[in-house]
Amino acid sequence: MSTIHRGLTVTVVVEEEKLEQVNVLLHDFNQHAKTYKTAYKEHLPSTYFISWLTLPAQVYAEKVKLPARILFMTSYVGSKKQHISELVNFLGPRLQAVFEISKEFSPSIANLDDLAAFIRRKTVFQAFYSGFKFIPTQDVSREQEIKSTVFDFLETQRENADFPKKSPASVKEDIENFVKNQDEFGWASAGLSDKKADKVRMLLPLGIFLLAMATSLVCLVLSFFMDYAVLSWMGLVFPAFLVILVLLFIWLRINENNPHIPNEPVSDEWIRQIIEREKNPVLNEMTVIAPLKKGLIRRIFLGLSLRLITLVGYFSYIPTVHTARWLQLDGGRRLVFIANFDNISEAYAHDFVDSDNRSRNMAVVFSHAAGFPATKWLVKRGYNHRSEYMKGVRFHQKITQFWYAFNTGLSVENLKNNRKFREGLFQKMEEEEIKEWLLTN
Amino acid sequence: MTLELNDMQGLLIRGFGNLLGAQYVLLRFTDAALGKKYISELLPLITPATDKPTDHAIQMAFTYSGFSFLKLPDEGLISFSREFREGMTEDHRQFILGDSGENAPNNWVWGNAAQEDIHLLLIIYSKDADTLAEKLLFEKARADQYGVVELHTLPTGLLQDHKEHFGFRDDISRPIIEELVENVEKKVGVTFPAGEFIMGYKNLYNEYAPAPYLSATHDQMNILPSSPDFADKKDFGKNGTYLVFRQMEQDVFGFWDYLKRQGKDTEETICLASKMVGRWPDGSPLTLTPDRADPSLSTANAFGFWDEDKAGLKCPIGAHIRRTNPRDHLVTERTQKDSSEMAAKHRMLRKGRPYGTPVLEPLEPKGIMELPRDNERRGLHFLCLVTDIRRQFEFVQNNWVNFHKFGGQDHDADPIIGNHYKSDKVVTDEFCIPEYPVKRKLKNIPNFTLIKGGSYFFFPGIRALKYLASHE
Ligand code: HEM
Repeated sequence: MSTIHRGLTVTVVVEEEKLEQVNVLLHDFNQHAKTYKTAYKEHLPSTYFISWLTLPAQVYAEKVKLPARILFMTSYVGSKKQHISELVNFLGPRLQAVFEISKEFSPSIANLDDLAAFIRRKTVFQAFYSGFKFIPTQDVSREQEIKSTVFDFLETQRENADFPKKSPASVKEDIENFVKNQDEFGWASAGLSDKKADKVRMLLPLGIFLLAMATSLVCLVLSFFMDYAVLSWMGLVFPAFLVILVLLFIWLRINENNPHIPNEPVSDEWIRQIIEREKNPVLNEMTVIAPLKKGLIRRIFLGLSLRLITLVGYFSYIPTVHTARWLQLDGGRRLVFIANFDNISEAYAHDFVDSDNRSRNMAVVFSHAAGFPATKWLVKRGYNHRSEYMKGVRFHQKITQFWYAFNTGLSVENLKNNRKFREGLFQKMEEEEIKEWLLTN
Repeated sequence: MTLELNDMQGLLIRGFGNLLGAQYVLLRFTDAALGKKYISELLPLITPATDKPTDHAIQMAFTYSGFSFLKLPDEGLISFSREFREGMTEDHRQFILGDSGENAPNNWVWGNAAQEDIHLLLIIYSKDADTLAEKLLFEKARADQYGVVELHTLPTGLLQDHKEHFGFRDDISRPIIEELVENVEKKVGVTFPAGEFIMGYKNLYNEYAPAPYLSATHDQMNILPSSPDFADKKDFGKNGTYLVFRQMEQDVFGFWDYLKRQGKDTEETICLASKMVGRWPDGSPLTLTPDRADPSLSTANAFGFWDEDKAGLKCPIGAHIRRTNPRDHLVTERTQKDSSEMAAKHRMLRKGRPYGTPVLEPLEPKGIMELPRDNERRGLHFLCLVTDIRRQFEFVQNNWVNFHKFGGQDHDADPIIGNHYKSDKVVTDEFCIPEYPVKRKLKNIPNFTLIKGGSYFFFPGIRALKYLASHE
């Protein structure tokens, strides 16, 4: 089974006057999810997060009205088909109750299979980031459990006079013997299945892209020496890609000269409403949805950037973020960003702007959204970059009416450390590696 | 940009360490017009940053409620940051600061906005106890004369060898303001642009620190300078800053009792306590001298964690100094550069002083450990100056001090000042010490410090004080 953590985003247009009706339902469902969290965990074993919200109509480029929408966003591990099937089996009536308010929902949808097909049809492309890799939900608690039990056991060993003198290898042996003798940890002795296939799957698109570019480059060189039409054509792909990029950059640069229209200041009341919902002690969620700045190039550039982000997804790193996704809606005129992150947004938003690297990376996406700071050549910042950035986030932040998280007690680092600890169990390691492994938090 | 020292109150650039006596007086106006006259009379007595007083110094700061009582124009009032306007005891601020349970404002002695309205903080420094007593009497009479009510007077007392009550040397690491470094060639270590701590100057984002402002029409006498951000506005913030005040009671006996139970002998007990702080009692940093204190390093501050001690084997990642200033190593960052850039955005100028009699003089841990518990109240009046309460003080308090997942930990709040508790969802009372062969975990750590009072103040520049005393 694939253990890649992926995102699913489903969206439909809804009439503005029906938004309240949807909000009421989502509010109720949210309460339900809080009350019956255990049932959700049991019946949605592939699901890490669900954010379900309504999006009011917005205005693009001062005149184009963007419709109100319902957004249903999940993240899951495993097969998409299985995930959707779980969703409709467990949440079917709720999904139907909400989606049928939209005109896009066809009255002919009569059973769960139809509902699943509808969800698949309404799925849109997104760039998805996950802060941890290859951890199915089933492993979350048990990997935490085994690590803390083992360290509690080691704490009792501290009483033995010879304990501090023990070699790392013999401590590891003690740990493994202890684990073997605990019935509840039988699963751990089997070791972890090989993740090679998943890695290949994640890297495949990038591999194909690089291969295509490299092939084109080779063909280009060869075409100087050999006279085959196919070589010339293939040889054109790479230069054409570069030329298009350069032209797009120039077009973007021209667009960047448009006068900067800052966002209106955000009211205290709005900020209070948002932060009031961020009181979970370990992780919280934020959704930012903004129309893009005027100009076709913004839509094209963002679309291209999101695809490139997807290509390099395996290597990207955003600290303290469990999941993040970026997508475009309404013909690319709207940017949706949603993140599940450690602690609260007042702290998390600093991760965007406090380091030069990070704010540059963020500009690749957010500089296209209305009201966000003006840039030059996409990433060179304009004046008042940081404060405008923070204001932009708050101005476009939306309240997520329904939020479900499978894991609410562990930070991204916790998840990764627990996995690192488990990976080391029963694995052959050098003395130095064991020393480092034993220091795992 | 040169600093306008003559327009600043002195505390911004010095701690008045030569003035051994100090008292913090919390006051409330009863009449706005009289209040302004009171400020006007005090104004010439305020010690500016250009003076190096040897006898006494007076400094002044206001709460939001104080400004609004003095009828600062609404436009000015709303231009203060939200956290200052809301105040330290507003519900969400309490949540951010971790002021819950034992630390909740309803257990405080002062500062709970629901119970009392503080307008003004007067800080009086004096060369010794006698002159301080004299000054206090004098100021009390002055306040009475203008209907300014004294709500609390909070005494302080510096301890021998710059120590705080647990017995550790304090006040070693301070951010250095770039503009104050006279000889650039002699500059050592990291420096910070003035705008991080003083309004009216550029900060680390190369922006002017966000500051309160007013329309020119509100300043007919043209007292205030122009705002650097808005052409038609006057800058009320210039040469001022926010002042965060927290009274933190320290349970010295609780601290050493707990540690004695964890250590097999005195030496180990002191070592564990030092692991919690990140420095030995004499101030020498564990990162530079991990096995024993080294008096020659007692004020050493030129060190980082990235190269020297990434795993925290010398100074644990959860130690007080490493949480409140991770320097060049944040566990969640992948490069030293990113870590340093991130950590630098959350510094503060600490200006507090201890209060209460020390359990022993000099404060040597070995001696402290042998003493029976007494009933004295003692602690730290924590004061810090920042231009952005949320980004600097609250961020540190929330994300680094109290967030129990900081640095990849499981259940660890700051061992010295964190709010330690267990609930069905959260455990924050552990402390992890990385060591060979395996890490050590201290559990069930009680609260060693308790918040007993606190408030957010604004610490104005001299021109802003003049404006305050004379505005219509
Ligand atoms: C009773 C309460 C406190 C005690 C006993 C205490 C004790 C200490 C000690 C002994 C040091 C080492 C000396 C030095 O590096 O200057 C220190 C450093 C420091 N403390 Fe505290 N502290 C307290 C409260 C706080 C609070 C509330 C904060 C802020 C939220 C804070 C922030 C800092 C910072 C930023 C440093 C310097 C770290 C560095 O740059 O290495 N402290 N503290």
